Amino acid sequence: MRTMFRTIFVLSAAILLAVAENAFAEQTTTRLKVYIGGQQRPDLMRELFASYMAVNPSIKIDLEIGGATSDLHQKYLNMVLTAKDTTLDVFLIDVVRPAQFAAAGWAEPLNAYFGSSTALEAAMSHYLPAYREANTIDGKIIALPAFADSMFLYYRKDLLKKYGFQPPTTWPELANMARTISAGEHNATLQGLSFQAKAIEGTVCTFLLPYWSLGGEMLRDGKLTFDAPKAEAGLAMWRDMVNQGVAKKNVAEVGTDDTRKEFQAGRVIFAVNWGYAWNHFESGADTQVANKVGVAKLPAMDGGKSVSCMGGWNWAVSAFSKNKAASAALIRWLSSPETSKQLAIRGSFHPVFASVYEDQDVTKAIPWFADALPVVLTARPRPVTPMYKMVSDALRINTNTVMAGVKKPSEALAEIELRVGRAVR
Amino acid sequence: MQKRALIDRIIDPSETTLAWLLLTPAIVFILLIVAYPVLSLIVNSFFDIRLSRGVPVRFVGFENYLAALNDAMFWRAVKNTLIITFVTVPGALVVGLGLAMLANMPFKYRGLIRLSLLLPWALPLAFVGLIFAWFFHSEYGIFNDIIRRIATLMPSLGWEPQIWFNSPSLTMMAICIATVWKTSSFMALILLAGLQTIPASLYEAAEVDGASRWTQFVEITLPLLIPSMLIALIFRTLTAIQSFDIPFSMPGPGEEAQTLAMYIQLNSVDYLDLGYSSALAVFMFMLSMATTFVYLRYVRGGRD
Repeated sequence: MRTMFRTIFVLSAAILLAVAENAFAEQTTTRLKVYIGGQQRPDLMRELFASYMAVNPSIKIDLEIGGATSDLHQKYLNMVLTAKDTTLDVFLIDVVRPAQFAAAGWAEPLNAYFGSSTALEAAMSHYLPAYREANTIDGKIIALPAFADSMFLYYRKDLLKKYGFQPPTTWPELANMARTISAGEHNATLQGLSFQAKAIEGTVCTFLLPYWSLGGEMLRDGKLTFDAPKAEAGLAMWRDMVNQGVAKKNVAEVGTDDTRKEFQAGRVIFAVNWGYAWNHFESGADTQVANKVGVAKLPAMDGGKSVSCMGGWNWAVSAFSKNKAASAALIRWLSSPETSKQLAIRGSFHPVFASVYEDQDVTKAIPWFADALPVVLTARPRPVTPMYKMVSDALRINTNTVMAGVKKPSEALAEIELRVGRAVR
Repeated sequence: MQKRALIDRIIDPSETTLAWLLLTPAIVFILLIVAYPVLSLIVNSFFDIRLSRGVPVRFVGFENYLAALNDAMFWRAVKNTLIITFVTVPGALVVGLGLAMLANMPFKYRGLIRLSLLLPWALPLAFVGLIFAWFFHSEYGIFNDIIRRIATLMPSLGWEPQIWFNSPSLTMMAICIATVWKTSSFMALILLAGLQTIPASLYEAAEVDGASRWTQFVEITLPLLIPSMLIALIFRTLTAIQSFDIPFSMPGPGEEAQTLAMYIQLNSVDYLDLGYSSALAVFMFMLSMATTFVYLRYVRGGRD
């Protein structure tokens, strides 16, 4: 009898101890849920988080992977955050969105997590100015830059050399080179230029590149400024690329990754694309263009200047997170020069610190990054407004319909003016 | 005394009371999952709720409805939705009836036919949209490939591959073809069930009277199938009015082939304009209700 009581006593003590220990462990471990898109190299991010958890054993990071395009990524966040859901702690947001997150109150302002205002200023001063400004809305730090991006002109080094060309500096020059090379190569499947005119976010940049090149502006101090003749000249330039046979007829079906695939398959002479494409061209599994790829500044309009479209992603802390302090600490680490360097070497993600572009390990891994800095520095942000999606739709939908030949440029411009006006009213 | 009576009624309820008691959980359930969302939708449609602007919610009366009536994009979406409805509902009925007749024929591999009928029905709508978007792709699509082959074999026809998604009307055509393919098997399943309830003796008697196959179809099969057809048509029309997945996966030029459901999604999920999108959804709700009402009148009328 006595042994039985003893057994019961020991057993229950053990159970109690186990429960207590578990509860204790629950208290000291903070679980953070991080949401990123499918194209933001989840494999690489997992490794980063593993190294963070190794140094911070009290933090457990779960990764949730969303849509592969900026639009799908945002649709999910719109739904989760409209519902004030607390499950996500940290997420990546596109560089065009901080204004919307600030207006909706979805991102925790990060100013208070830097200790003092001098520490805050010191930390923010290291970032490239454009990325610091993109994430600061009315003095509030909405997000911290994760990586930068810009549009570049990719070209076939081998083909340009064969015909004795230097990379083109204007779009008409590019068209002439493409026609000469196409005629000389006798290859019906070789396109002159691949760019994006599908109704996707990237097509906003397709619209803006020639418009900006001519000195056009979209918004100034939240007010619509729209220069219709410059916009029309820009759309006409793209239409000419199709009419001259430099770009293919179904360009309205072409998205960012279509351009990447066509160029990678060796079927394109010139391509307009973001930084991520380079890694695929050089080391993609089935690449036909390894060691044949050159990267240059985008051409300008005749009489205009060369501009690029600014891209990139930023780490934000959810306003509904229950672990804001731990989340803020995590994203400060994710947005550090060390992490930026890792992302650059391993995934050809553009750094958000000028110093990292000149880092020897980085230039050894990606030689052209040294030349990329001036492009990234001159890249222009898309219009900043809480109603960005409406502005974006107005531009991309109308560019797409013009390139599909459904609308005349003048009709499209009237609709752009109407819809952008409605958005910023 | 009264209290006593109440307790008695609960312990030993009459038929009617018992019926109500048993129905209560179901009624509460329906109120929660049907009535509450619909009412909240209607309430929201009278407010200005624009989350991405960070402005306070305010009552605006019928402003959202008036805005919709003056919105060209709304009317284009309604037009596209009605085109899809008027093309794909009869289309699916005709194709579905053919498939049902085929699956009802007494032959050896009938089981196989019936099984393959389920395939399009079992596929998620978005998959069908994505598959057909590839079929109609101007470079890699199977339709243009066929056209190219025919054009090479018979140049005199003058056929040319099309950039389907560069043209609003060709895009609508592609959407309708995908929708008919996807939905006719559901039609066929319901019609097949209807076909099997028609007694064989009717056909035997008709055979004795010397009626032709066509006469049998027109005089026996069709009239007796009408109840099944109406049920199938109600479901099919309602889903056609709500068309989203297939047109969403097959975007034509710009927003030229946008449907009402897509426009509601754009305003709610993308623009976070919950007041305006609620008003649009109320329009769609009324459209669905009106359709159901017409069909139900017809079902009752048919019975009398």
